[in-house]
Amino acid sequence: MAVVERIEHLEELWLERPGVLGWLTTVDHKRIGILYFWTTIVFFAAGGTEALLMRTQLAQADARVLSPETYDQLMTMHGVTMIFFFIIPMTTGAFGNYLVPLMIGARDMAFPRLNALSFWLFAGSGIFMYSSFLIGEAPNAGWFDYVPLALRQYNGGLNVDFYALGLIFNGAASTIGALNLIVTIFKLRAPGMSWNRMPLFCFALLAASLSLIFALPALTADCIFLELQRKLGFHFFDVAHGGDPLLWQHLFWLFGHPEVYIIVLPAFGIATSIIPTFARRRMVAFPLVAMAELLVAFIGFGVWAHHMFATGISTATLVFFAAASMMVVVPSTIQVYAWLMTVNLGTPDFRAPLMFIGGFIIFFVIGGLSGIMFAAVPVDQATTDTYFVVAHFHFIIFGAAVFPLLGGIYYWFPKVTGRMYDERLARWSFWLTFVGTSLTFFPMHIVGLLGMTRRVYTYRHGLGWDAYNLVETIGGFVLAAGLLLIAFNIVRSLRAGELAGRDPFHGGTLEWTVPSPPPHYNFAVIPTVTSAYPNWDARAREADLRRLERGELVLDGGHETPATTVNDAQVTEILEMPPESPWPIVLALAVTISAFFLLTEHYATAAGFLTLAVLTLAGWHAQEPGEA
Amino acid sequence: MTTATLPVRAAHPKGWWGAVIFVATEATLFGTLVGTYVYLRFHNAHWPPPGVPKPPLLTPTLLTAALLLTSIPMYIASRAAGAGRRETAWRATTAAFAVQLVYLVWQLHDYVHTIDVYDPQQSAWASIFVTLLGADHLHVLVGVLLSAWFVVRISSRLTRYRIVGLQSTAFYWHAVNVITLVVLVVQLSTHL
Amino acid sequence: MTRSRLELLQWFSLFAGPLAWATEHVVGYFISDAACNVAGARWRLDTAPWQAVLAVLAGAVVVAAWLAAFVTFRETRTVDKDEPGPLGRIHFFAQAALLGNVLFFVIVVLDGVGSVHDLPCRQS
Repeated sequence: MAVVERIEHLEELWLERPGVLGWLTTVDHKRIGILYFWTTIVFFAAGGTEALLMRTQLAQADARVLSPETYDQLMTMHGVTMIFFFIIPMTTGAFGNYLVPLMIGARDMAFPRLNALSFWLFAGSGIFMYSSFLIGEAPNAGWFDYVPLALRQYNGGLNVDFYALGLIFNGAASTIGALNLIVTIFKLRAPGMSWNRMPLFCFALLAASLSLIFALPALTADCIFLELQRKLGFHFFDVAHGGDPLLWQHLFWLFGHPEVYIIVLPAFGIATSIIPTFARRRMVAFPLVAMAELLVAFIGFGVWAHHMFATGISTATLVFFAAASMMVVVPSTIQVYAWLMTVNLGTPDFRAPLMFIGGFIIFFVIGGLSGIMFAAVPVDQATTDTYFVVAHFHFIIFGAAVFPLLGGIYYWFPKVTGRMYDERLARWSFWLTFVGTSLTFFPMHIVGLLGMTRRVYTYRHGLGWDAYNLVETIGGFVLAAGLLLIAFNIVRSLRAGELAGRDPFHGGTLEWTVPSPPPHYNFAVIPTVTSAYPNWDARAREADLRRLERGELVLDGGHETPATTVNDAQVTEILEMPPESPWPIVLALAVTISAFFLLTEHYATAAGFLTLAVLTLAGWHAQEPGEA
Repeated sequence: MTTATLPVRAAHPKGWWGAVIFVATEATLFGTLVGTYVYLRFHNAHWPPPGVPKPPLLTPTLLTAALLLTSIPMYIASRAAGAGRRETAWRATTAAFAVQLVYLVWQLHDYVHTIDVYDPQQSAWASIFVTLLGADHLHVLVGVLLSAWFVVRISSRLTRYRIVGLQSTAFYWHAVNVITLVVLVVQLSTHL
Repeated sequence: MTRSRLELLQWFSLFAGPLAWATEHVVGYFISDAACNVAGARWRLDTAPWQAVLAVLAGAVVVAAWLAAFVTFRETRTVDKDEPGPLGRIHFFAQAALLGNVLFFVIVVLDGVGSVHDLPCRQS
């Protein structure tokens, strides 16, 4: 069979239904990645709007733009949206789903239908959470939702119930997504891709996914306890009956601190993809960078009570957390040195993606320096609940997590769409967002040290905070302009950008070996990997072409991709992958409806819809891929 | 399906790894629940609070022992399925399912009584105790549904999909059995 | 050295250190939490000896893990970074473990010093 015929046959095998129905039943990781991307962009816009409304209220002292109750809801939903509905699904769901199979030389994720389920459950949880605005009862006790404020006697409406049920629901979606990424990385790497040859982006996603698996149960347990106490009168958080309000905080931060590493690790992964490409050399200290990503995630599980240094816990207990908090900065520092050395030793090409990484490194170092200060208990106690903390985490979350995302959007835009973005507009968008971010968040360090408390809807005139707040608000709008410019660049280039070709940037990883956009089957021949930068390994790529001509490793007997051993990526079997399926969206719909009935205490009906969800699994598993 | 002409190594299938990661997250959930129990225990002078009867010893121990023993037929079923011995796999799965179902029904009956006697609306001890037990029973219920599914599915034929599914279910059951043992230890610790 | 012994050393070097620190951290936290709350008042826990033993044991395991990483690294020092598994992978993880175990050792030392030094149960 000629190469052209093989490719046509692969195209036929992997083609999905056209139109809307195709998107609703898709199991293609690339389509699911795109679904995640646009959905999270909508939530990013929502979270950003919430932020701008808050900043408008705070621009001047004693403002009455928003009521305190409205401000509380916006502040809470801003945090909840940005963390649970934007950054996690964007990095793991959009970037992770789209890129990991391509980078490891696979034709899809390990569990394609489960992948679709994770997206539809995520979408359902977002609809559930945001429907709270329709009845004016959005979550209002902060994204951290501390008790006793979150208990029924102080918060009797549905606000906190939306929060708790919504996060259990969202957590299930993220857990499923993380499980899929881990098994994909373990079992679906191309032949020859032993651990030492796996891209650093995949190490970062692996670290983030393992963290999600081990961190989310603490939040789930916390939310279950909260709902049992609110709805059924159980006692977990009230001292009078033997409970403890700090229990909420322990469990929340046991999840919450790993969560911030889950947020930032994929961003590190994007940086470690962009830097070697634009520095035109391999990453310095590759094994140490890979290990640093895993170490940050692991040590990050041991620092949670540094969010509780001001709660009155005994010094003897806090010692453990201060120690771990001081050391957790070391792996990140190793990565910063590796990135800088790589750029320094290479021949850097400062196009837009690398500019965003440059901005990221600056913001990450500043945010990291303020962060390490909090490891010292006395400093933390002096700055707790001030804007100094707000400055720190926005430098990290916006500066260090979102900037690489923006750079990554530009970097992989040609691969996903087949078109180039406008480089000049991209550079302008970088400067606008860089200046906007600095203006918005840097003054917060100062105003925090001047005593401005966080989580306040207004402040008195004459405390010396006015000018800083005004500058921050102006900065917020400059930042918004920068983001809108990025959006404009992307949308315009989608239609009018010049054709990109397969490999516009000479990247080192496997996604640059396939056409842009990638065909449905990703790889015509499954690549055999002989180095950590396979696209720079011309001999191995030529060997792949010869295999394609011979029909070896083409795997066109069905919907196929190979499974390999976990450590050394030796082939173990040929996997038959499932075609598109309606069951994931049906299951997600049943769970979403059930969540609404749980919220309104219609327990029997909720149980009915959950039973329906379980029954869809029967339909799902009755359809066995590869069986007649 | 492509007939593999490649040299292939034997290894755990991806479905088994999926079960391992799923068990990891559920085990962490139980770790959190047990950790909460221990944490609250350290913050209370009397645990359980005075006036609350201690949980029974004998019935839970015997029931848990019976459940733990079902790991044997599940292991046999898993090995037999992997070797293509459908009838052996089916018989072993059915035997395990029967004991698991009896365990679950008995425990759920006792659970209703437990909630009545210990009343989670009265104390943090009862709240965490009832929640821990309830979580365990829920995981056993999921296991029973999985066992039932395979009793039906492998009554007719074995496919690669069903073999991996059964092996993953067996792994899940071993984990649930360990978790149930841990919950029993927590229950028995009230007598220390 | 045989391949299987090298494999064993590599996995020990990678996982023993983090597991030792995690155990020391969780057990040490619960010991201090018990001592500084109601239960401790009843049981009159003297935490310093317990914390010292914990830190020393954990520290010993981490040191053993680092030594295992060193031996593995030395045995595979001529292996190229792009060598296929298992040797390439073993060399890669040996380097990773050389770094990781240093960090865990420092945390365990800090924990030990901090919790053994006379820190009464007082609010921070």
